[in-house]
Amino acid sequence: MDSADDTPTASGEPLDLVRLCIDEVVYVKLRGDRELSGRLHAYDSHCNLILGDVEETIYIVDEKDSDDEDSDDEDDSAGMRFVKKKSEMLFVRGDSVVLVSPDQPKD
Amino acid sequence: MSFFGFDTTLPRDRGHQTAAPGFGQTQDAFAGLSSRPDAFGESDTLDFEETYDGLGDQLDETDDAFNDDTFGEAPATQQSIGKDFDFAGRTAQMSNVLQEEGLLHAVRQPPRRASPPKPVAKPRRTGYESYAESSYIPKLEADASIWGTAPKKPAQEAQPSNQSASAPARKMMSVEEVEAMMRAQASQPQPQTQPVRPPPQQLPPTMQYDFPPSQPTPQQPGFAGPPQILQRPQQQIPDQRQGTTQRHPVQAELPGQGVHQPQILQRQRPEHSQPRHGGTPSQHGIQFQQQQQQAQHRQQQQQQQQPPQQGAPLQPRQILQNPNRLSGHGQPLAPQYRNQDMPRVPPTGPSHHRGPSYQGPVITNPQQILNLSEEDRAAYLAEEAKRAKRNHKIYLLSQGNHLMTPQDKNFITRIQLQQLVTATGGADEAGGESLLAEDFYYQVYAQIRGASRQHPNQPANQFAQTYLFQTGGRFGMSGRRQQRGGDNHMQRMEQQVQRAVEAAKLKPKNKQLVIEGSLGKISFSNSKTPKPLLNIKRSEDSRPPSAGPRVSRAKNGSTIPDRKVALRDLEKIYDTLMVLEDHERRMPRLREDSDAAVVQSHMEWTQQMESLNQRLWTELKVMEPIIPNSTTAHPFIALLSHPKGKKAIPRVFRHLSEQQRVTILTMLVIQLDGLDVISAALPPASAGPHADAIVPSASVRDEVELFAMSVIPPLFTYVSDAPLHIVVGLLGLALDRTNISNLIRTKIGLGILTMFVSRAELIRQAQGAAGSSDWDVWTSHYDRLFDEAESELPFIFPGGSNAASLKEVDDVHVWQFLAAMGVGASPDQQQRLVLGVKERVMETVAVSKALPADLAAKRLGNVNLFMRAIGLDVELLG
Repeated sequence: MDSADDTPTASGEPLDLVRLCIDEVVYVKLRGDRELSGRLHAYDSHCNLILGDVEETIYIVDEKDSDDEDSDDEDDSAGMRFVKKKSEMLFVRGDSVVLVSPDQPKD
Repeated sequence: MSFFGFDTTLPRDRGHQTAAPGFGQTQDAFAGLSSRPDAFGESDTLDFEETYDGLGDQLDETDDAFNDDTFGEAPATQQSIGKDFDFAGRTAQMSNVLQEEGLLHAVRQPPRRASPPKPVAKPRRTGYESYAESSYIPKLEADASIWGTAPKKPAQEAQPSNQSASAPARKMMSVEEVEAMMRAQASQPQPQTQPVRPPPQQLPPTMQYDFPPSQPTPQQPGFAGPPQILQRPQQQIPDQRQGTTQRHPVQAELPGQGVHQPQILQRQRPEHSQPRHGGTPSQHGIQFQQQQQQAQHRQQQQQQQQPPQQGAPLQPRQILQNPNRLSGHGQPLAPQYRNQDMPRVPPTGPSHHRGPSYQGPVITNPQQILNLSEEDRAAYLAEEAKRAKRNHKIYLLSQGNHLMTPQDKNFITRIQLQQLVTATGGADEAGGESLLAEDFYYQVYAQIRGASRQHPNQPANQFAQTYLFQTGGRFGMSGRRQQRGGDNHMQRMEQQVQRAVEAAKLKPKNKQLVIEGSLGKISFSNSKTPKPLLNIKRSEDSRPPSAGPRVSRAKNGSTIPDRKVALRDLEKIYDTLMVLEDHERRMPRLREDSDAAVVQSHMEWTQQMESLNQRLWTELKVMEPIIPNSTTAHPFIALLSHPKGKKAIPRVFRHLSEQQRVTILTMLVIQLDGLDVISAALPPASAGPHADAIVPSASVRDEVELFAMSVIPPLFTYVSDAPLHIVVGLLGLALDRTNISNLIRTKIGLGILTMFVSRAELIRQAQGAAGSSDWDVWTSHYDRLFDEAESELPFIFPGGSNAASLKEVDDVHVWQFLAAMGVGASPDQQQRLVLGVKERVMETVAVSKALPADLAAKRLGNVNLFMRAIGLDVELLG
């Protein structure tokens, strides 16, 4: 949601938008089919993040035997599952960060 | 032979195998078996029929692949065709041998398995009977008679003695001896007696005809093979093909040929016979001829077979039976050819048995396997499995072989070349069209699709042209391959180059090509017109980079812009705060003896401090006008709705003046209803007085906690020092501007009210209730508050009143409020208060008795806050 045209003040860097999320709950998408949701404590120019009260969601696609491919092909979602982990505090290295977004309230 | 279903482990058989030098290499011959060792289930006791099934399945395609090797690729005249096949001779030989063998087995060892022999005999006949219907019946019957003669005779049972005599002699012969005999026979094409024939056990090696490249040719004489070839069809027809009448003709072809071709060879080249063995197929063919001659002679001698059947009349029959082979093409490269003619079947399917010739060796497998020792058998099976795997791979790889003729390949090459030449050339519509017309895959696709229009956007005329192009003859489905000639290729190449040149001329105009049915565009570029990498449409109405959109969005009332504005404001506040705090640390020490410079710097510092303070104050936006009935919260309240906004308050308060603080407090009191910690923490209005615990969500509780920890203390600090008139004013504001009942039901609201009331009581106690005007105002305010609170008493306690919630609920702030109210209450009001909360007091006391001592003491202490405020004590209730 944070796009450049929303910052008429043109404060400069894109990361200034991330700064708005400091101490807010953010949603972070990572490489490797992982997602984080937690309170952003700190960040830097590499998008290294410190997150608190993090819930990590790892999406896993179960590998199927290639022999079975004709049997279960129609049901792709069957192999999809996710694992959730909770961490009190996380350091997220920036090179794995795909996006950072303010965590929208569910309603 | 396993043919008859006899026990294959006869000692005699073993003797043969070990004795024969050629058998060491015979493992390869079991290719069919090895492919499916699992299918048999019990490898040690092989079921005869089962082995056949597996073998047939496995062998089909691989055999096809090597047909060229077996039969030779060169266009064959009828002479050359016949070289490799000596079916008639083999048949004759084998029939004799088999008969003898059968008799021997019958005599020496009664069949252990009753079932196998019988089915074999019957199906064999049925298979031939089916063929008998066509014109060539008599000849087929001749074959049948070859086989049938022995069974028809009482030989198997009654005349064992005759043949048994010859058997031992045969048994004693080594392969070398046999070969020597063969050479002798070759030189003298005169009828030979039985000893010359190789023992049937030696037949298996002939399998190598099936897989010449994959296996080293054994040293065994090749002539042994063909007879087996003949044998097999008879067995397999009954076993595997029962009910499939179509297969019979296919299988029948080869036997027919087998009978016929050898004869041709004999007539044509009787003089060629040079006895050799273990050589190339052609050598085998020569040997075959010899064998055939021998066989024929034998047959004639024995008089068991009908001589006319083997004569010239066979030829026409062949033509009828197998037009593919004998037709004018005369090309034995038949493997692919046949594949095309015959329905494509997966290799495992039984349907694909082309010719019986390839399945011959299978027959011997079970026997040999049984003869092998356990280790050898295991090794053999493993090796066979490996080989079968490889063969299967070869088969898979070769499935697409020869699907395209060289002309097809040429065609595609030209297309690719043309595309290279044009280099993204055929840009315009016509070009694309012509490309399509030239596209092999497109043509095939269009034909498969029945030339239906594939793309809705495809113009009709284009479609028509395409269609015409297809059916125009050059591309006509039917005769296209035949019609195209080499010079035609040249012409078309020229045309294409011409077209390419034309397209190149047109290129600048057409930078993109959209091929029908494709999803993307192909862009072209050259040095003159570089390919535009970026195509940005710059429309005139692109909005100026003003703040317009944001304002409009904010007016829309969506919370997201507000939220972002608040967050941005907060960041500014924190920025300023940090600068301010940093600046504060750099305050110059000012002493009495400080020189002017220090004083000057201090002055500057103070100025800077003030400007920073002003900046902070502005950024707090406390003074922003309050828009009544606005959907968006006041900026300052919005700040407080964020955790970091709450956390900022204590730090901000340090730098604010008294005036600023009271302003903030005033603003806060006015906007209490809008505070998230009050509005969000408010229990639903529907909740009854004693509804079950309605616990606010965890996030709201956290916010409330944070507010109580961060915002309330500075406020409290200020209020605790505030003079009465400010307290009175604030309470008045709260009473006027906010919904007291909401405040009373929430912890924060109640806390703030408690703050005011208790402060006023403290002031009253400190100063005495001297009749200043402020006290009158205060009393009126207090009365209003009391009235409001009294009606809310049933709802004042959080979490309802059931026993469970009583144990856990945190209601200390309620008791504090009640105590504050009770202190300042008149006796009448005190009585009303007690009446209102008496039930709760009693419940709490009762519950606390069941609680652990410390918890109970805490509970009772909370209650006592109130009880003592009105001059009572919990102990009195005890």
